Amino acid sequence: MSVGSYPTHVHAVETTDLELTYADGTEAVRGVDLRVPEGEFFGFLGANGVGKTTTIKVLATLLSPTAGRVEVNGFDATADPRKVRESIGYMAQETSVDPELTARENIKFACEAYGVPRGERESRIDELLDLVDLVDAADKEAEEFSGGMKKRLDAATALVHRPPLVFLDEPTTGLDPKARNRLWDYFERINDRGTTIFLTTQYLEEADQLCDRLAVILEGEIVATGSPDELKRRVGGEILDVDLGDSESAERAVAVARDSDLFEDEATVEPTEKGLSVTSRAARTKGTDLLVALRDAGVTVTGFNVRAPTLDDVFLAITDGDDTAGAGGVVDTETDGATASEADGRGETSGATETTESEASR
Amino acid sequence: MSTPTEKTRADGGTADAASVDTGSDTDSEPVRRSSNSFLGDVWVNFKRWNLKAVRNPFVLVVSLVQPIIFLVLFTQVFGNVATSAINRGGGAAISYETYLVPAIAIQVALAAAATSGVGLVNDIENGMFEKVLVSPMNRAAVFVGKTAAEVLRIALQIGIILGLGVLLGADIATGVPGALGIVAIGVLFSFWFVSLSNSLAVLTKDQESTIVGVNLLQFPLLFVSTAFLPLSALPDWIRVVATYNPITYGVDAARAVMLDADVMTVIEVSAFGGLWNTLVPALAVLVALDLVLGSVAVYLLGRASSSNVQ
Repeated sequence: MSVGSYPTHVHAVETTDLELTYADGTEAVRGVDLRVPEGEFFGFLGANGVGKTTTIKVLATLLSPTAGRVEVNGFDATADPRKVRESIGYMAQETSVDPELTARENIKFACEAYGVPRGERESRIDELLDLVDLVDAADKEAEEFSGGMKKRLDAATALVHRPPLVFLDEPTTGLDPKARNRLWDYFERINDRGTTIFLTTQYLEEADQLCDRLAVILEGEIVATGSPDELKRRVGGEILDVDLGDSESAERAVAVARDSDLFEDEATVEPTEKGLSVTSRAARTKGTDLLVALRDAGVTVTGFNVRAPTLDDVFLAITDGDDTAGAGGVVDTETDGATASEADGRGETSGATETTESEASR
Repeated sequence: MSTPTEKTRADGGTADAASVDTGSDTDSEPVRRSSNSFLGDVWVNFKRWNLKAVRNPFVLVVSLVQPIIFLVLFTQVFGNVATSAINRGGGAAISYETYLVPAIAIQVALAAAATSGVGLVNDIENGMFEKVLVSPMNRAAVFVGKTAAEVLRIALQIGIILGLGVLLGADIATGVPGALGIVAIGVLFSFWFVSLSNSLAVLTKDQESTIVGVNLLQFPLLFVSTAFLPLSALPDWIRVVATYNPITYGVDAARAVMLDADVMTVIEVSAFGGLWNTLVPALAVLVALDLVLGSVAVYLLGRASSSNVQ
């Protein structure tokens, strides 16, 4: 799937038919085409275990592709890995700092590893400590740091050589909102200065906040690309979840909602485990009318909630396509996606489904 | 630091991406590696591991304490009994302190080498291993630097043991050059165990397994060797095991230098004269062992750091 055309432009990342199959036969990445122009804040969105980290590791030369071509900053990742390594910053999903060294020593080691000239090191270290707000903790061993501080230190060490391209693999997972916002600010700042950022995330909110453009990956394949707004538009509005007293009335409630004329034609009404769910641009304005209509029809409503689309909804919308029969919600859709693409992915499907479910209950 | 919310839009080509506001400073100018030398990369890693060793004096002390306890207690408890056993063959009488110090030097090398793999496992666990792999440093230089730091530590610790031994009354017959020789033998001896400990680390990727694995080996191996008593004073089955035990060769080599005499009885060589009749075959065995286990470790490390999927 081509992501727009920039024929004359140098891409920070360019992959063609990228495939990676692990020795145990798991096809983690199955034919990914990516084109990330220089300066872009690019988001790679997907649930756990769909191939995000594998892809980013191939781009960072930690894994060799099974097939396909990978060019990073104009260098072939397989033929010239050292050139690629010199020109990228990489922040792994698990925070990577040496706990026995101080913040300053960690950054200094990175400076030396990336060959920052001796004369510039001290000023570079101070500059980075300031940027990630660790000046006061500069000479404390990283062991004593909180998770957020370690993450920020990790981010600083990935930037010592002012790489034109930075890979961030789920950089804010497990952080409290304050620490997360601080990191977001920081990523935006370096992006403003011209650094291309390739970020993976499972949170639509994060992608929405930061990214210029997104690619959604599912079962090792890119299923959609576009700006966050474009992707959310594909969901078709906001979502009204209605909980019902008993499951027998669900069918009746769905019929009420579908026949009500409250929502536009594109809106979808689906039964869920607890009741029903309406996806519509009018979900917020016509929600109460639906509740009244349900009461008039003798259906007991025990709870309701209007919310913005989440990653699950985007997945749902994307993988569901024009098939409106998605009755069991996310679970069935995921399975549909797997069977539609390739039967091999089935081993992973259950895992992916579990994550998606817990995501949904969050 | 201008307008953090305003993004450079990407659609439409961002043809000017390269010229995004660099106005304020040189901040978007990427750093070119100032040097690409193998030795430079070795040095960077050597420094990090030394720093870690100093930060963590606990490991340093612990790997010294046990051998020191052995040295003091063995000479005090078994001194009288052992002295008659080691002097049974006649010749100039030597003290048990003198006899034991080379063995303790080898024990120190063994204990220090054992911790090498633990450092590697910690690096794998805290992500530093991957961080180093994704950097442009030469990968062989990364491991050479780490090993060099461990060699330095082993040499210092053996030096401490020799000094302590002399204080307790041990006598190095070959003097200061001999002491340096024993340090060198200890370092040469340590390589096979460094390799073993790193191989275990890469295979198990687990700190406990690595520690348990190397410790399980250390003690039995020490006792079924010529470390504490001469071969002639040991039961037959231990004599057989000792012949195939690397520790015998390390201890015999160090002891030959300590006593300035041919002390090796597992392989009888008489072609070189004096202590060289022990040194030459013992060092040959150790070098061979280092090469074999070293190759295994290099292979395993290479596989662990390669980008080929597993």
